[in-house]
Amino acid sequence: MHHLVGLRWLLGLYTALFIAFLYGPFAVMAILSFQQGPEGGPQFPIREWSTFWYQHVMGLAPPSRIAPLPIAEALTRSLSLAFATMVVSTVLGTLTAQAFRTRFKGSGVVFYLVVLGMMVPGVLLGLGMALVADQLGIDRSWWGTAFVLHVVYTYPFAFLVMLAIFNRFDRSVEEAAWSLGVPPARTFRKVTFPMIFPGVLSAMLFALTLSYDEFPRTLFTAGSDVTMPIAIYGTFAVEIHPNLFAFGILTTLFSFAVLTVYGILMGLSTRRARARFSDMQEDIA
Amino acid sequence: MKQYDLELLKIGKVYPGGNVAVEAFDLQVEPGEFISFVGPSGCGKTTTLRMIAGLEDITSGKLLIRGKDYTHVPAERRPTATIFQNYAIFPHMTVRENIGFGLDVRGIGTEEKRRRVGAIIDKLHLGDVADAKETSLSGGQKQRLALARGLVTEPDMLLLDEPLGALDANLRKSIQEELKLLQRSLNITFVFVTHAQSEALSMGDRVVVMNAGRVEQISAPFELYTRPKSPFVARFIGRNSLFSGTLAGAGNDRAVVETPFGPLQGTPAFQASEAKSGSDAMVVVPSEYVEIDGAGSRAADTSFDTIDGVVGSIDRVGQLAYPTVALDDGRSLRLETYADKIAGRGVEPGGRVTLRWRPARATVVLDQQPSA
Ligand SMILES: Nc1ncnc2c1ncn2[C@@H]1O[C@H](COP(=O)(O)OP(=O)(O)OP(=O)(O)O)[C@@H](O)[C@H]1O
Ligand SMILES: [Mg+2]
Repeated sequence: MHHLVGLRWLLGLYTALFIAFLYGPFAVMAILSFQQGPEGGPQFPIREWSTFWYQHVMGLAPPSRIAPLPIAEALTRSLSLAFATMVVSTVLGTLTAQAFRTRFKGSGVVFYLVVLGMMVPGVLLGLGMALVADQLGIDRSWWGTAFVLHVVYTYPFAFLVMLAIFNRFDRSVEEAAWSLGVPPARTFRKVTFPMIFPGVLSAMLFALTLSYDEFPRTLFTAGSDVTMPIAIYGTFAVEIHPNLFAFGILTTLFSFAVLTVYGILMGLSTRRARARFSDMQEDIA
Repeated sequence: MKQYDLELLKIGKVYPGGNVAVEAFDLQVEPGEFISFVGPSGCGKTTTLRMIAGLEDITSGKLLIRGKDYTHVPAERRPTATIFQNYAIFPHMTVRENIGFGLDVRGIGTEEKRRRVGAIIDKLHLGDVADAKETSLSGGQKQRLALARGLVTEPDMLLLDEPLGALDANLRKSIQEELKLLQRSLNITFVFVTHAQSEALSMGDRVVVMNAGRVEQISAPFELYTRPKSPFVARFIGRNSLFSGTLAGAGNDRAVVETPFGPLQGTPAFQASEAKSGSDAMVVVPSEYVEIDGAGSRAADTSFDTIDGVVGSIDRVGQLAYPTVALDDGRSLRLETYADKIAGRGVEPGGRVTLRWRPARATVVLDQQPSA
């Protein structure tokens, strides 16, 4: 019994440290975001609690010497980019995984080509893309060059998730639909898709979050209209104010909202198909 | 010309990669017939069934359904319904939705659809679970749901791949009977795959015995049992004793094989013209027809073929007795008889006995090495 108690302690400590490192920075940021403004700086102690910086971020604060964060447009761009990336990567990933269900000639090579997209160092890829664009005389833009790289980066994730899903997919369910006279396209919509939906959701979540705060690939390819992570990075060069923290908290809350929607949809869809697929999202999660 | 429900004309399947699964499969099925496929694991039963269903490409030969060529028609346009071994229930739909799913693409009105689904639910006793999903169904209910889902589309024939394999022995027995009754009442063709010979023999009007991708024999169960056409069938079906030797002579209803036990006779399973004297042959004797007696008695009765042996042991179960008899060539046969039939006839462990049977009960098959 004795050594087990020791082990419990160790595990407890480990968990505590894990939580401390995961949420510590976040907690500090959360506290500092309520610093008094506009004089209060990004450090302790808190002079006085206030929501000034939140108002500042949203452009509701009275004008002061501190410039508003140049992120409003960047945020819109990042969200549009993340959304578009999510849609394209998930569709591509699902279709590719579907193609991989029957081993075709050269499928091994194609697999590595696709997965390479997430392995190649991002900065190099970004730099390379910038060079190619310049050579070809293409303007760099967040919706063009950067978008392509976001897809290249997130598509392998979506593909791998869907591959895992299809690996455990019982194909006789589709065959049953065909032999009932239901054509393949309708079978995919009415049978296959509802059954793989938990996987599709996960692939979407991956693509969305990876693209939303993508930095290295975007840095050189977004052109002059930058995305949110790059805009934030830009503000570091000047002076840091707690408005950055307030913004950080807001986007984290947004992420939680996305996660909650994911959780709810997942819950709904797995309640529908609990039988076969309860163990499937465990694989993914 | 006769109209068959299903005709397989030398169909064959070579899987990508060169694996030959089925070769020159010939079969004609009459409307309303119950056909069983039986054979050892990997002999190509599932592959053949899937070729009929359109789930597997046919690589040679032709497939006709009611006289129409369906060789290259995809599954969703064939008038067949398939029941899978794992039932393949749509897990996200209720029993009712599962059944209605195949009707949605057939342009059937809502009212008509409801009526048909309701009727089949009643017929297969699924009323209590009509709004349940797969998770809350028992094995037998899933099996009936799979049947209902296929039958509601009114297929020309039903294809079943080991549909009872996932059920326990008791349920299996009762569903076998239900299935047979269902087929009789619907009067549509069933093609039923199993690897249990008892199932194939008890359910099928005719049984197709397969081995290594080829058809060995297609016969009614009793004929298959009593008149095997090849050594493989003789070994695979029933409990037969086989005695090999060389063919000494063959007429139309009697052939003689020279065996280590002396000349033995039987009804030839081949045309007299097919076989030359001296070719390898076997005499097949169903164990049920073998009588056992103390050595020497009635030896003179020439209407029997006899061989001698030594009793090893006798198992008794109630009034049944199962003597094990060691033959001179080292083999031992296990026979079934009644305890009172062998009482006082010198059938005891260690005793020498004579086994005898009427030659008309035996079959002579040619032992052809498969031509490579
Ligand atoms: N998709 C496939 N690709 C290649 N070979 C296959 C494939 N499916 C089956 N085979 C091969 O074809 C042969 C026949 O297989 P099939 O599944 O038809 O046998 P079966 O008679 O149904 O056996 P069982 O009683 O075990 O179900 C086997 O040798 C098998 O290995
Ligand atoms: Mg099989």
